[in-house]
Amino acid sequence: MSDENNDKKSSSDLGSWLNSMGAPESVTELMPSDITGLDIAPILSMLGRVGIKSGVRGAQSGDATADEIRWLPIVRV
Amino acid sequence: MSSSLRITCGAEPTRGSGTSPEIVANFFESLIYPFGFFHPTAGLLGELNLSRGVNSLLSPSQHLEFESVQQLAQTISDLDSISVALRHMDSEEFAIWCGLGKSNARTHLLQLIEEMQQARIRVKGAQLQLDFMHNQPSARSLLRSLTQLALVGVVCESRQLQKAWLTSTHQPLSKKWISKFESIKVFSGGGVLLEEESLRFVFRVKWKGVGDCEPAIGLFRNQLVIDVGGVRSFVELPAACSRMEPGNVRLSKNKFEIDLAVKESEWPRS
Repeated sequence: MSDENNDKKSSSDLGSWLNSMGAPESVTELMPSDITGLDIAPILSMLGRVGIKSGVRGAQSGDATADEIRWLPIVRV
Repeated sequence: MSSSLRITCGAEPTRGSGTSPEIVANFFESLIYPFGFFHPTAGLLGELNLSRGVNSLLSPSQHLEFESVQQLAQTISDLDSISVALRHMDSEEFAIWCGLGKSNARTHLLQLIEEMQQARIRVKGAQLQLDFMHNQPSARSLLRSLTQLALVGVVCESRQLQKAWLTSTHQPLSKKWISKFESIKVFSGGGVLLEEESLRFVFRVKWKGVGDCEPAIGLFRNQLVIDVGGVRSFVELPAACSRMEPGNVRLSKNKFEIDLAVKESEWPRS
């Protein structure tokens, strides 16, 4: 696996997320690695892209995924 | 539906303590508990935007105050957005993440969803009062705000509006604007799937008020999302729509229709 892929993976695992939320490393170090290594990207994706941030429309650019709102073209008739 | 809740829009809000409702805190605590991290973080609750007023809607208070009609509409939209997110969390991802049966996480999740549904019922039946003494909106911006409020299912009575307008401006609202305000109808939150021709359907949504605003319309999993200036309403789509390809949205004065084409590859061949 390339370094780039490693970086991408580690940014969405539970341990990294808990640290980014303010959990001390001493806490995550006590947790089994198979738990801290859990990929929580699906949950974070849902929390961040379902309109929870007020007024943000299409905050993410690029290809739409199942967890992004797919905005449709509008034609006035 | 009747409700004992009274909501005042336009008055300066009474700031709450900013703490989360107990049920929200319990939910996040139990969600994170299995991983050895006990307390919900300010960061996560901040992401959920609870400080903007969702807390208030979830509280048992009998009188709520919002800065404006727009803020009330936005807060209800936030509540609905969180509800949609939580309902999707009660899914396979949630089961994988928490491990069903290993904690009380799902119990708290369902409690929180129920709490939000009850809050929604209270708000829909609430007695809405307008107070423009501190913040006098223009008739045009008020039309937009009340359209947003109608989108999230809350009605503002014309008599209440006229009274608040007269009190703050000392001039009656003109007949032209009264007519415009009265043309706004509360969105019912439903639609119907119709077959136009072989393999081609439309999902039709009726909403009086849609012609006077610029909505964005999109799809999120099995939900139709209608967005007016950041205020969103969600409509659950029929299951068949998940196997159809959406096309254009045709928008007219009192309705819009989404073109849907059946993806033949998604259906079993006879």
